[in-house]
Amino acid sequence: MFGRITTMMTAQATMSDLTLAFDRLTQTQSELSSGKKIQEPSDDPYGMSLIVSMQGQLGALTAYGNNITDGTAWTQASQTAMTNIANIVQRVRELTVAASNGTNTTSNLSGYAAEVQQLISAVKQEANTTYNGQYLFAGTANVQPYQTSTGDLYQGNSGSSAVIDRLIGPNTTVQVNVDLSQVLGNGAAGQGGPDGKLLDTLNNIYQDMTTGNTTALTNTDLGNLDTNFSNLTQMQASLGATEDRLQLASSRIQDLNTADTTVLSNTQDADMAQTEINYSTQQAAYQAALKAGANIVQGSLLDFLK
Amino acid sequence: MAIPTFTGLETALRGLTAAQAAIDTTGQNIANANNPGYSRQTAVLAESDSLDLPAFSNTTGHGVQLGTGVDVTTINRVRDQFLDVQYRAQNSATSGLQTASGLLQQVQTALAEPSTDGVTSQLTAFWNSWSNLANAPTSLAAKQGVVDSATTLADTFNGIDSQLQTIQNQADSQYTSLTSSSGQIQSDANQIAALNGEINQALGAGQSPNNLLDQRDQLLDDLSQYGTVSVTDPGNGLLVVNFGGDMSTPLVNGKSANSVSSLNLGPNSGGTIGTLAGLVSPTGQISGYLNTLNQFATTLANSVNALHTATPFFAVNTSTTSLGATATTLSVAVAPANVQTTTTSNPGANDVAMAIAGLAGGAADQDYSSFVSQVGSDVQSNQSNLTTANTLLSSINGQRESVSGVSLDEEMTNLITYQRAYEASARMMNTINSTLDTIINQVGAGL
Repeated sequence: MFGRITTMMTAQATMSDLTLAFDRLTQTQSELSSGKKIQEPSDDPYGMSLIVSMQGQLGALTAYGNNITDGTAWTQASQTAMTNIANIVQRVRELTVAASNGTNTTSNLSGYAAEVQQLISAVKQEANTTYNGQYLFAGTANVQPYQTSTGDLYQGNSGSSAVIDRLIGPNTTVQVNVDLSQVLGNGAAGQGGPDGKLLDTLNNIYQDMTTGNTTALTNTDLGNLDTNFSNLTQMQASLGATEDRLQLASSRIQDLNTADTTVLSNTQDADMAQTEINYSTQQAAYQAALKAGANIVQGSLLDFLK
Repeated sequence: MAIPTFTGLETALRGLTAAQAAIDTTGQNIANANNPGYSRQTAVLAESDSLDLPAFSNTTGHGVQLGTGVDVTTINRVRDQFLDVQYRAQNSATSGLQTASGLLQQVQTALAEPSTDGVTSQLTAFWNSWSNLANAPTSLAAKQGVVDSATTLADTFNGIDSQLQTIQNQADSQYTSLTSSSGQIQSDANQIAALNGEINQALGAGQSPNNLLDQRDQLLDDLSQYGTVSVTDPGNGLLVVNFGGDMSTPLVNGKSANSVSSLNLGPNSGGTIGTLAGLVSPTGQISGYLNTLNQFATTLANSVNALHTATPFFAVNTSTTSLGATATTLSVAVAPANVQTTTTSNPGANDVAMAIAGLAGGAADQDYSSFVSQVGSDVQSNQSNLTTANTLLSSINGQRESVSGVSLDEEMTNLITYQRAYEASARMMNTINSTLDTIINQVGAGL
């Protein structure tokens, strides 16, 4: 405390208190109006670094989420195409069983053969399915996998360079495409085969029906077809596992998203109830300071002198 | 020996004069009650020389000394020089922090964090555009998206970089204008030198030049906000003022002022404290920020370019001469059609795009987050130092005001005291007058 108190000291002290009170009030008011307690890095440097990294993480999570959605759409489109092929194979099997029956006439057999021929091009059409401008079963070559008219030779690529991945988490990728050519193969002899795979088998069935070779239909073709079918369902199962993995990743991403959003909100957002209370308190303090300021130096010895 | 007849009148007159001088001083104080540079004054009274009456007393035969009233010896200026020294030191520190605070605040604003316009958001958008491209490697639209977001990111870097450089240039030009020959520091120095001369003359004539002293103290206060002020008073009013920590060449030496440019203004040409130091030290800090920003931009561009092997994706300026080389000139170097998605010849492969998207949340993001946090904590510590400095300054100012400020209550009390003294002296004169009347008109009347 000072020995002498002058009117100027009182005025200066009141002024600086008023400024401080108003400063606090302004800060709280902007917290209220923006709903954010950190508006500048200096409000809370550590909190700020948390906000920046949380925003980055949330951005990355959004990207992973999009990738998973895209990957899921890709696998589902593949799954649909493969299910269609499986149905076609079933139909061919029915026709083959019917054709291998020795009672068929030549015209019956050629009727079956005509349908099988149609079904072969249906298989190739399914294999040529595109998603978002890309062929699902051409590897990374992005060309039409099978020519519809001329031959059954696979046009895409295979092996490690044909893998199409989606980034579903930090350093985590999942392969979304399958190499359907492993099941379909390159067709019959003279076209790329023979390789005993589905298109080869279908062509053999067609040939055997046309030539009326019911023995071959019964003894070899039916067995080959079953092997091919089981390879196809195996591939479908592995694609199903990929779908499950994407599904799991998706729900994990959602959990992480919720957690990060909570951290971000706790760091960044103002506690409205608390801020409201602070605001009222500070407003009362400011008004008291104003009142004190208005009353300052109103009285002096002068009032009591005649 | 008798007392001279009119001694009493003379004594009463001195009383009147002293009371009048005191009332006038009180009036001066009241008139300047709200003048911030004013130091209150008091009339210093002393007994006037007494009258020796050698053998006045008949009983003892000894002489006596008869008082002859009062003299106004001087009008004193109430001021504590030590508080002035403290005030000026604190004023320098506070002003320096205030200046630095303004500049740092601008840096913080330039970063625009947290918002959707800052680098953080643009960076996220950039990584996500690569992720989209990885999902559709053959899509030209996705490639366009990558180039667009990269261009926005590069523009944001360029913008922050140029804002930081502008802040630095402003600080530099403010420094130049303050220290120039027509700047405020030189002007204060010249006025102090002129006042030194006038004060020296007045002191020589035995006067107390209170108003000149007040003016000079205010100029010294003003000077102290720019840098350290150290004052030596040889006693004749010809102050030697050392400025900005240069103890060898004084800024003001008695009646002459040296030019500011002839001083050695300490480390980084700004002294250690004060506005000049404030202008210089954040400049150093801002250079540091520019450097960090540049490193960050370089690291980012290089890490993307390392994966985008066909052609560099970002144009990187490797010039080491300019501080913010990369941040200033960062731009996208490829056309949308040439954005690389794979290292193989298979158009449907997405290995490059996916690898670049995988950089998200990595070292680049972390570096930037710590940079923003660094700026934030610099601003915060500066603000908290400033608050402390302001409190100290107002406390010292309060002490100074306590010594030199005018208290109206006190002045009113003095006014009454001296008014009564004046009235009493007048009554005294009246009484003497009536005794003289007795002597002159009554004694021997009718002779």
